[in-house]
Amino acid sequence: MKTRSITLYVNGEANSLTIPVNRTLLQVLREDLGMPETKYGCGTGECGACTVLLEGGKSILACLTLAATMDGAKITTVAGLDEDGKLHPVQEAFVTEGAIQCGYCTPGMVMKSVSILAKNPKPTEEDIRRELEGNICRCTGYVKIVQAIQKASEVMASTR
Amino acid sequence: MSELSIVGKSLPKIDAKEKVLGQAMYAADLSFPGMLYGKIVRCWKYAHAKVTKLDFSEAAKVPGVVKILGPKDVTQNVYNTGVLDVMVPEPVGQMLGDLEDIHIFSDYIKHQGDKICGIIAKTEEAAERAAAKIVVEYEPLPVYLTAEEAAKPDAVQFHPAKPGNKAFQLPAAMFPNNVYGWGDAEAEMKKADLIVEDTFYVPKQKQCQMEPHAYVALYDAQGRLNCWTSTQMPKCVHPKLARLFGLPMSRVKINQTTVGGGFGVRLGMISEPECCAMAMAVPGHHVKVQQLREEDWVASESRHPGKYWMKMGFKNDGTPVACQAKFVAYTGGYFTQASGVPFTTGAWLLGTYKYGACNYEGEAYFTNQVPCGAYRGYGNPQTNFPSEQLIDRACSKLGIDPVEWRLKWHKGIGDDTWILGFKYPSCAIDECIAKGAEAIGWKEKRAKYANQTGKKRRGVGVALATHTSGAMPMLLEHTTATVKVNEDATAEVIVNCSDLGTGAHTALHQIAAETLGFPMEDVHMLVGNSDAAGFDIGAHASRTIYVGGLAIKSACEKVTAQFFERAAEALECRTEDLEMKDKKIFVKGSPEKSIDIKTITTLGVYNFIDPATGKPIGHPGQIQGYESFFPPHHSPPWSAIFVEVEVDTETGEVKLLEFVTAYDIGRAINPKSVEGQLEGGAQHGLGNVLTEETYYDKNGLCMNSNFTDYKMLGPSDLPPMKVILVEQPDPLGPYGAKSCGEMGLVNPIGATANAIYNAIGIQFTESPITPELILKTIKDKGMTY
Repeated sequence: MKTRSITLYVNGEANSLTIPVNRTLLQVLREDLGMPETKYGCGTGECGACTVLLEGGKSILACLTLAATMDGAKITTVAGLDEDGKLHPVQEAFVTEGAIQCGYCTPGMVMKSVSILAKNPKPTEEDIRRELEGNICRCTGYVKIVQAIQKASEVMASTR
Repeated sequence: MSELSIVGKSLPKIDAKEKVLGQAMYAADLSFPGMLYGKIVRCWKYAHAKVTKLDFSEAAKVPGVVKILGPKDVTQNVYNTGVLDVMVPEPVGQMLGDLEDIHIFSDYIKHQGDKICGIIAKTEEAAERAAAKIVVEYEPLPVYLTAEEAAKPDAVQFHPAKPGNKAFQLPAAMFPNNVYGWGDAEAEMKKADLIVEDTFYVPKQKQCQMEPHAYVALYDAQGRLNCWTSTQMPKCVHPKLARLFGLPMSRVKINQTTVGGGFGVRLGMISEPECCAMAMAVPGHHVKVQQLREEDWVASESRHPGKYWMKMGFKNDGTPVACQAKFVAYTGGYFTQASGVPFTTGAWLLGTYKYGACNYEGEAYFTNQVPCGAYRGYGNPQTNFPSEQLIDRACSKLGIDPVEWRLKWHKGIGDDTWILGFKYPSCAIDECIAKGAEAIGWKEKRAKYANQTGKKRRGVGVALATHTSGAMPMLLEHTTATVKVNEDATAEVIVNCSDLGTGAHTALHQIAAETLGFPMEDVHMLVGNSDAAGFDIGAHASRTIYVGGLAIKSACEKVTAQFFERAAEALECRTEDLEMKDKKIFVKGSPEKSIDIKTITTLGVYNFIDPATGKPIGHPGQIQGYESFFPPHHSPPWSAIFVEVEVDTETGEVKLLEFVTAYDIGRAINPKSVEGQLEGGAQHGLGNVLTEETYYDKNGLCMNSNFTDYKMLGPSDLPPMKVILVEQPDPLGPYGAKSCGEMGLVNPIGATANAIYNAIGIQFTESPITPELILKTIKDKGMTY
């Protein structure tokens, strides 16, 4: 297998990697960099558990992204959202609103939520539900996830 | 009961922060130095076949391959992935005909995904490459996808102990005439003015937990088999693995990892045996097995599909004189839970309404589908679909309001529960029905939707359900709890109770803190360690808060009793003269006479000799409370669910407009967690009735083992949900609590089917009620109004 040398920034840290070109960003994060917080749910882009952010807040699916194409990319995972242990407003709202059950979709769901609010700081409930369509949760019926995103939107508006 | 300070509060879940930071460790997240990877080689081409040739020679040459294990290279002991062998006494298991019929690897393929061999390699990629080089030749066998096909006289026999491929029938030794129920329903049926009857098909729904199954196992230098698994039942897997591999339990350790969703799929074992067998072949090395999503679909069990015949007879005034029913489950390639589900399916039918007579028969047949097992609701969804629809059909014909009928004929306090002979200790369904009907606007909407003519028609439906809080006395219910108090007056609660993401550990933590009189932060839950904690049957039958909560409460009460005894000794008074507040015990009416709990616990541990007197200071001994608890009952919860839909008669689409659940919880230990269970359950239940079914082609190969082709309802599909918690404390549950884990899934099914009936006047005998089915049925039958 061909390899390629890239620099991948994850949560602010630079990583110089030489990786086979068929390796996904999800494999690189979880196995090569030892960062298991981004989850494997389907491997085929159907569930959103592997959602991470690019610079600027755009969300991508790590399971469908070849790491070799990500030279120079600045990736944020759910472990890089907090500031010195202080939770991001989206993380805080997920905790307080009861939006977390088994927690397996949570890392992807939180990253997707951050990207939704980056694009549209005051989304309607309908906006949120439509945007979440690519992220599957089997525990919550989405009710408290939607409420958490609304709550985070309010908190972020008041502190902006 | 004195005022509660922690129970009843919607505190954030104790593991929420670690989950939202990505720090919770699921089995697939584990990594160990020198860890090897295990790949289970499965049969993907056939659903029924004999392996005629198995050749590893090319696969073994792939760089990185360590070992390849075929059917004869592992223990020949057989097992059942379920846990009835742990939960019922042996004679009962024999009467039920429970079977252990699964080999770790096999040359007889009974369903797609059945296991042929295992590859151990240094990397996952090497294992995958080797798997592609294994040469397997097959002799295909006829494929049976229904009970009717499998029961044909010339059908290939799945197991010598089960002639005719009949895996199970309610045994006559336990159920006279193979019938569970009361009265002679056939005779009573003759008194009916109206009989409604139909045969239904209920679907093979998949749990679709978000975490695919993953395991790590290590056979260590002490000769211990260590297994990291997200099983719902660590203390059932413990003896089962020990028995399978011929080890004493002291040489098996189960480390329960964070559970990424259960819903029954992790009830008992899934691929622990294969992972452990591979680890035992390479002592000293951790072996990790990570299943792909598609693999998860065929490796783990689903809900039982099947044919459900049901007949109900009514008097003109609505009196339900009789109910007869027979469920024939398609249990799949192995026995798994072929006895448990067909029994309970009928039990839920028996528990709900006051039929004059009710007779239920349950059977299961082997088929070449992926085996079925436990799935949240355990037979109750199967019963809800036909029974709630037939009741509404009768109400419609008799001109009775479906809500009024249910108010009049539901069972309640003093009536038998789903276990005949046990009486309901509590029942708040009347309040649930009243509040739910008001919230959805039942009367106004039923009147409004009575005579519609447009292309889009609306309807509102209701369904009731009752379930259980643990499965006593049908199954063993047992939880041990140890509460160890540290010298600084903080406590460790040591249990093997599971939390599948439901918030069970948080609620148990709240019960412990409340009972000890400690703040939440002074209590810690030690869970998931089979070495440390005693027996717990595991998460099933909505039992964790009820049985686990009662066990922990009792252990905590044994701790506080010791606090009082030692305080009485120190304050030189009687225990009954004392009371406790803010971690201090004082004499009633004389708060200045007091002792801190911390003083008691410190002196208990650091029981030094006073140099002046030569005697110990304070009462010696670290305080612990231990309980090995068997509950006296199964206090069933109830709920009334109301659903409003809009049916597009041109496209067949069903739009969910509104959803109301009013739930008889007894007491909500953590109301937000209870809401979460009901909202999440609704997603499964609404999916069961509208979209979710695992489809097979004629060769028995699964056609939709992925999230694109298997349609779960997404955030835009689901309706606004209103959850009403009705709190009338149960006399037996911990702080009055009953269960909420499973039932949220059950009656969205009947309520939605009845709402569709209300909208277009058609009942469906098959679920899921897909747009295709609706259009076809409208075309075939026409709308009746």
